[in-house]
Amino acid sequence: MAIGYKIKVVVKTSYREGYCKMKRTMKLLMLLMMVVVLVGGCAKAADEVTIAQTDDKSSETTVTDEIVTIKLFTGKVETVDLMNSLIDEFNAANPGIIVEQEFQKDASNVIKVKFASGDVPDITTVVTQDYIDQGKYLDLTNEVWWNRIDPAIRDLCTDVKSGNQYKVASNMTMAGLFYNKAIFADLGLNEPATWAEFEDNLSKIKDNDSEIAPFFMGGKDSWMLGHLIEFMAHGVIKQDLGITETKAAFLANDDTKLQFGEVGGPMESFAASIISARDKELFNSDFLTATYDNQIEAFAMGKAAVISQGMWALGGIIEMNPEMVGNIGFMPYPAIVEGTKPVILSAEDSAYAITSDSKHPEEAKKFLDFLFQADNMVKYSEFIKSPSAFEDVSADWGPIKDEVAHALAAGVHIGFTNENPSGFSGDDAGRMVQELFAGEYKTSADFATAYKEIWDKAWNASNN
Amino acid sequence: MELKNKIISKLHNFMILPAFLLFSIFFIYPLLKGIGLSLTDYDGMTKANFVGFDNFIEFFKDHRAMNDVKTTILFALGSAPLLNIFGFLYALLLDRKFVGKSIIRTIIYLPAVISPLIMGYIWYFILQPKRGFIYSLIESVSGNALDFNWLGNSSMAIWVIVIVNVWQFVGMTMVIYLAGLQAIPEELHEAGMIDGASYLQRIRYITLPMMIQPIKINVITNIIGSLAVFEIIIALTDGGPGYSTESLSIYIMRKCYGSFTGYSTAVAIVLFFIVLIPVYISFKYLNKKNVEM
Repeated sequence: MAIGYKIKVVVKTSYREGYCKMKRTMKLLMLLMMVVVLVGGCAKAADEVTIAQTDDKSSETTVTDEIVTIKLFTGKVETVDLMNSLIDEFNAANPGIIVEQEFQKDASNVIKVKFASGDVPDITTVVTQDYIDQGKYLDLTNEVWWNRIDPAIRDLCTDVKSGNQYKVASNMTMAGLFYNKAIFADLGLNEPATWAEFEDNLSKIKDNDSEIAPFFMGGKDSWMLGHLIEFMAHGVIKQDLGITETKAAFLANDDTKLQFGEVGGPMESFAASIISARDKELFNSDFLTATYDNQIEAFAMGKAAVISQGMWALGGIIEMNPEMVGNIGFMPYPAIVEGTKPVILSAEDSAYAITSDSKHPEEAKKFLDFLFQADNMVKYSEFIKSPSAFEDVSADWGPIKDEVAHALAAGVHIGFTNENPSGFSGDDAGRMVQELFAGEYKTSADFATAYKEIWDKAWNASNN
Repeated sequence: MELKNKIISKLHNFMILPAFLLFSIFFIYPLLKGIGLSLTDYDGMTKANFVGFDNFIEFFKDHRAMNDVKTTILFALGSAPLLNIFGFLYALLLDRKFVGKSIIRTIIYLPAVISPLIMGYIWYFILQPKRGFIYSLIESVSGNALDFNWLGNSSMAIWVIVIVNVWQFVGMTMVIYLAGLQAIPEELHEAGMIDGASYLQRIRYITLPMMIQPIKINVITNIIGSLAVFEIIIALTDGGPGYSTESLSIYIMRKCYGSFTGYSTAVAIVLFFIVLIPVYISFKYLNKKNVEM
């Protein structure tokens, strides 16, 4: 008992000592905290006073000394270096304005986050119908630039719903079929007008040399397959209705004009063409896993006879094999529906818009004024190897100028499909082509039905 | 005085406050906000409208979403068990004494340090038909007899992804099992050997029961990791061909960027439960098997 009692006392004493020690520590900590908070508070207060004083002193000069920062947000990797050098020139000549460029590979998605978070750029190359409808861009209809721009490009930049222009395209781009002129010449092949003639050409190429892919697609990059739908399938509608009526039909989901689900309609004919060429093994065997880079490499090195691409691919091909320059042919997409004509994409490229949330629209316009100057547009065209949209700009933009002119004369001009419902992007359409190639649709009619269903669902989600 | 003492005695309860605040800001608030968003038609830009459980109903009606659920579960069913089996076997093998053990451990663990995205691209280049290393190897051996597009085949691609994932992360699982093996007292094995237990019997009756904690950690982390798979699929197939290898995480990302923010949040909540259920079952089951030292 005595021992137990003693222990109890010892424990009690040490507890009390510990308690007092803890109390002292707590007091010290509290004191320290108070000091920190006080010092922090005072420092903040002092800062505020300093700022207030500074403001008082320079209240008149602040406005003139203010440096405006303009953020340019782009998804165009091919223009990043050129834009950086142009921006440096502009910044040097305009001390009050600093233009900063931000490039994002996934720009069309990133801008959505930017809009939602309030981190809105002043100028952007990402312009979609959804954002136009939501009033995200400044109306540029009355800007002086339009006096110098090709009227056809102005039409392509016009929002069908409002009739206004919210973007200015600095250039034009073309897309069609690049082909190896030497292979075509060796086999005595002519540019085909119909898909049947095209398949006939490809079969001859295949029979002649099994090492050469007759028609090479980088199907892992689904945007490329989405382009096939935009140009070949939608091309049927576009050549029939023209630019404005097509846009209106897409926006209204006018099935009497679009006929997406119809047998013999654009989607079914497109699917039938792809299935036919696939079954005849006219595509590269790695259609589903090859990338854009693989495609460019194969064409540049003479391992692919035909590829579907736009002018944006030209630089890469020539860089990879400069000797290819004189060997590049360019032709329209052959007609996939009887009674229609070959089509070629001739559309706006490098579109710039000013956001309506920009706090410095005048400075943003000043930068675009600078960018659209004729001498800068010459540099721009020659750099991205595509013709300028400005009529006063004469640039030596590419080594296949003549081939392009020839193709433009041979095909009906069509534009991009910018009116997709937001839940059904070009990438999504491309994934459907992947499925088609992988044999997930038993017939071309199944593909057309599925395409219509998905389009309708996305359109209803966006419009209801 | 009594009140003062009472306050002081309760003071330690407030020490949890900073942690609770952080937890609230970074977990509870986003979770509640997510639940709220999942009941709206928010598109990431315009005003959100309350739609009740429409997003959840839509999810179960969406053919693509159901395919993604199937793909995700298939991936987890392939990946999680293989990671554990091979991780455990590697650990058993490398728990022995032999020359070069450390080098082999490092080699097996090394891929886990590299980003799954980079690893996925490396494997993509290895597996590419016509250009990849494996194609060249097979071509040199069989003379072009096996010209097969592993990643371009809808039903095979998912298993290729499983193998690459297991190859990459087996080292991580192995390290945890190794730590568990080394914590087992040597005396237990010695006692087993004296009792005449064979090597397999010692694994069955001594090693495995003593490894419940590492097994629990590995099973649960592998289930979570496998059901939330994202990067390796993006790099290897981008979810294709079509949507055949698209996981639920990729679907959520694509829907979120495709102006369906409310809907994608609803899918994220469904994914949360898809992960939670097997984790809870595994946790409960393995808790029952716990051995106390």
